[in-house]
Amino acid sequence: MYLKLIKNDLRKSKLITGTIMTFILVAAMLTSLAASLTVNLSGAIDNMLRSAKALHFMQMHTGNVDMDQLRRFADTNGSVEEYQVQEFLNIEGAEIVIGNDSLAGSIQDNGLSVQGKKFDYLLDLNGGVIYPADGEIYVPVYYRQEGNAALGDTLTIHGISFHVAGFLRDSTMNAALVSSKRFLVSQTDFERVREFGQLEHLIEFRLSEGVNYPAFETAYLDAGLPANGPPAITYNQVKMINGITDGIMIAVLVLIGMLVILVGFLCIRFTLLATIEEDYKEIGVLKAIGIRVSQIKKLYLAKYGVIAGVACMLGFLASLPLQIPFMHNIRLYMGDSGSRFPGLLSGLAGAVLIFAVVMLYVNGVLRRFRNISPAQAVRFGASRESSKPGRSFQLSHNRLFTRNIFLGIKDVLSRKKLYVTMTMVLVISSFIMIVPYNMSNTISAPGFITNMGMGISDVNIGVLRTQVEDVQGKAEVVAARLDEDKNVEKYAMFTSRMLERRTDDGTPEKLRVTFGDYSAFPVTYSKGRAPQAEAEIAVSVLNAEDLEMNVGDEIVVIADGTEKHLKVCGIYSDVTNGGRTAQANFKMKHGEILSASIAVTFRDRQSVQAAISQYREQFPFAKITGIDETIGQMLGPIRKAIQKASIVATLATVLLTLLITTLFMKLLVAKDRYSIAILKSIGFTSRDIRRQYLTRSVTVLGMGVITGTLLANTLGELAGVAIVSSFGASAFHFEVNPWFVYLFSPLLIAGCVVAATRLGSTGIQALQISGHIKED
Amino acid sequence: MNSIITGTHIVKTYGKGAEQAMALNGVDVDITEGEFVAVMGPSGSGKTTLLFALSGMDEITEGTVKFGDTELAGLQGNALADLRRTRMGFIFQQPTMLRNLNLLDNIMLPAVQDSKRNTVELVQKARDLMIQTGIAGLENRDTTEVSGGQLQRAGICRALINTPEILFADEPTGALNSKTAEDIMGLLVSINQAGTAIMLVTHDARVAARADRVLFTRDGNIVSELILPKFSGGELEARGEKVVARMAAANI
Repeated sequence: MYLKLIKNDLRKSKLITGTIMTFILVAAMLTSLAASLTVNLSGAIDNMLRSAKALHFMQMHTGNVDMDQLRRFADTNGSVEEYQVQEFLNIEGAEIVIGNDSLAGSIQDNGLSVQGKKFDYLLDLNGGVIYPADGEIYVPVYYRQEGNAALGDTLTIHGISFHVAGFLRDSTMNAALVSSKRFLVSQTDFERVREFGQLEHLIEFRLSEGVNYPAFETAYLDAGLPANGPPAITYNQVKMINGITDGIMIAVLVLIGMLVILVGFLCIRFTLLATIEEDYKEIGVLKAIGIRVSQIKKLYLAKYGVIAGVACMLGFLASLPLQIPFMHNIRLYMGDSGSRFPGLLSGLAGAVLIFAVVMLYVNGVLRRFRNISPAQAVRFGASRESSKPGRSFQLSHNRLFTRNIFLGIKDVLSRKKLYVTMTMVLVISSFIMIVPYNMSNTISAPGFITNMGMGISDVNIGVLRTQVEDVQGKAEVVAARLDEDKNVEKYAMFTSRMLERRTDDGTPEKLRVTFGDYSAFPVTYSKGRAPQAEAEIAVSVLNAEDLEMNVGDEIVVIADGTEKHLKVCGIYSDVTNGGRTAQANFKMKHGEILSASIAVTFRDRQSVQAAISQYREQFPFAKITGIDETIGQMLGPIRKAIQKASIVATLATVLLTLLITTLFMKLLVAKDRYSIAILKSIGFTSRDIRRQYLTRSVTVLGMGVITGTLLANTLGELAGVAIVSSFGASAFHFEVNPWFVYLFSPLLIAGCVVAATRLGSTGIQALQISGHIKED
Repeated sequence: MNSIITGTHIVKTYGKGAEQAMALNGVDVDITEGEFVAVMGPSGSGKTTLLFALSGMDEITEGTVKFGDTELAGLQGNALADLRRTRMGFIFQQPTMLRNLNLLDNIMLPAVQDSKRNTVELVQKARDLMIQTGIAGLENRDTTEVSGGQLQRAGICRALINTPEILFADEPTGALNSKTAEDIMGLLVSINQAGTAIMLVTHDARVAARADRVLFTRDGNIVSELILPKFSGGELEARGEKVVARMAAANI
């Protein structure tokens, strides 16, 4: 009997059933996909870490390592199982040439390494430990993904040629996020290149199981072992960093899945309420003759069981082929996870979870059955929900609106609860349409880089201590040339020095400070302003956080041998030089200059590219980059991704608004058919009544869109800042395009709502008075 | 007297094929200006269907219904709605009020034109009607805050707000106690005496006894008709007995 009832029911409402089914299917598919990817990812990471015998603790160190001291520590510390010191030879990106292109533009620290002797093995793409022959080089798989290298390419380092024999997985430095990359060569080749690079030591440990990493790190530092480098890395971090890129992708899938199921719930709620409304009398009669609520519920649960069951099964099946492209990256970077079975099983579990959640939700909505009064249902055939007319807005006092508009607004005001869901949908719609667009607009704005520690110039000319002896002298040569060039509009030179900073307890610490006139190429200060007086300093956000400094605080530095008391006048966010920088504007006579950078703008913007080529030829020692190039490299992928997200969000909003409004209107018409019949009986035309429904929609639309826009420009900005600050720029405001935010977006949503209202309220026309008022 | 409504050979069927049900089976009816017509018959005999058919609320399957010289079938939706709103009034068994408006607003509703009519005048007229029907002072009450009888009086006010030529009443006292029913009927009689024609559907012989003419329906046909002298307040018992006797004669 159930089957027949369900079949009839489904046939009757194909559109609604189809919509709900689609939402559940997509949610199940995404959840399935995320679940199975999670299992496969963690399996693959474990597999790789096992094959590579990944390290448990690593300290990078520049300078000599006292091997005796290290051995004594390893012998006495009970946690150490194995240790080794690996050499890592830092090579300038510009000196690594693959095919015809160098890695000059690469933001990675590249270096050579030989295979680990005891552990921390670099693996080939089959998971085997690589032992390169002389003349062979293995390139990090990252560069294969980025398209820099292919098998069989020739790679030269300072003129020494290597044959790219394969790609390697590096359990420690695999991820794009890790800013160092190891190239693997034989010991012989390593010695040939040794003189061209800067040597760093990787001091690595394997520890016994269950060891407390922070405690070990403290023991290591207390023992006075070498630690001239970034903070130590532990096994947990290695594991996390390997998973983070794909982890974020999985998190996004889960988030979208949650959004989809939420919308699915809204649809289910709407349709169920409408069905209950329609079947009110029947349900009441069933109750009246003593059928249990649980038995009545079974009828509806069975129907949704079929819909959700089919949708979840299809969703799971659809997730299987979808895994292939998603697994591609994981397979490449980390290899296989071993058995396919756990992945499949968890995918299935994901689909089952969605099924369970849907059924629980339906069951929850059906709790309303308990509130249906058999007496009311039998007598009136409809629920007598309380709707208070409200004293303030009365037809007898109305001078402003036409009667249809009045009745539309009145309905929204007196049944607020009913319209809250609809308003929420419109708030969400406006929000998800505007926020990604604002973000995209903000980071595409030309001034955005000033939020990242860079001023707006056409070209930047860098002179680095690592490449020339006399930075100051060379920079002045460049400046003299710029003075002569008539096309140069203005330029400013900034020099970086490492100063000593006196901490509160008197111990000295290093602080990188850049000197120059920041008013010429200003950055954006989240607090305060650029340094103007000699006794002022501005610090980057990261430094401000680390040093617990705020505007007005004092920093004591040693300059030219004397203490200098500087007042913090501004805080800015910075992504250059590791984000820990400071700006000052006083003269220093002595001390080494680490780098000089000259920002230049040209009168004729068309000739910038020509000028770059010309200067590159004239100053081979300098690093000359056009700002467009720099921005393109730093922000290009993110700009594209956010732009895409913005377009997808707009489309999703249009669909969501259309769908939910149509369903909502259909529900309303079903719910209000008694009132519609009354209005018709006293002489309102279908057109009148449809106008009232349109007024309701437009009223809700107005509230929803206004709230959504406000939220998008306040809360949304906070969310946007949180996302954008994850790649360095923390203090900025949304660059709002008023045409889009205040005109295009509301109009688009309004268009959808109006169209959907017209579509959803067609039932009014067909509604017969006699069917809903007649007594016998 | 001129006819207000003339129905000729009205047929109304529901459903199709084998499941088709005949609600009205070729009925002829004529209601003249100022006349009070009651329709009686057992459940399912077609009396409410007849009311819906004559008032243009339901489309008929065959035959014609004329309001004055205008044929209802020839009117488009809007014109029909306008006709119903301006020249007819309706009273139902269950007071059909919009729950989100108070009594005064509900009463005014059919007359509120898009700024064509002065609202002040309209409010005054609604208040006058409320005084006339004995519910003055309840203007701002919700529909859930008044008794069934008060709600029905408000329904009558709403039906009269446009000064209709004819009032259709479908079991107007069916849901009321006998005292309240008597009051409502008294009200309807006075409205009729003021010149408004009434077509009333009822089960109750005492209610029908106030009419000028009683039509008896069975199986979709008018099977009998009883003409009574104009009701002036007295002899209600005697008139009622006549109605009952005719019912028995017509096998109803």
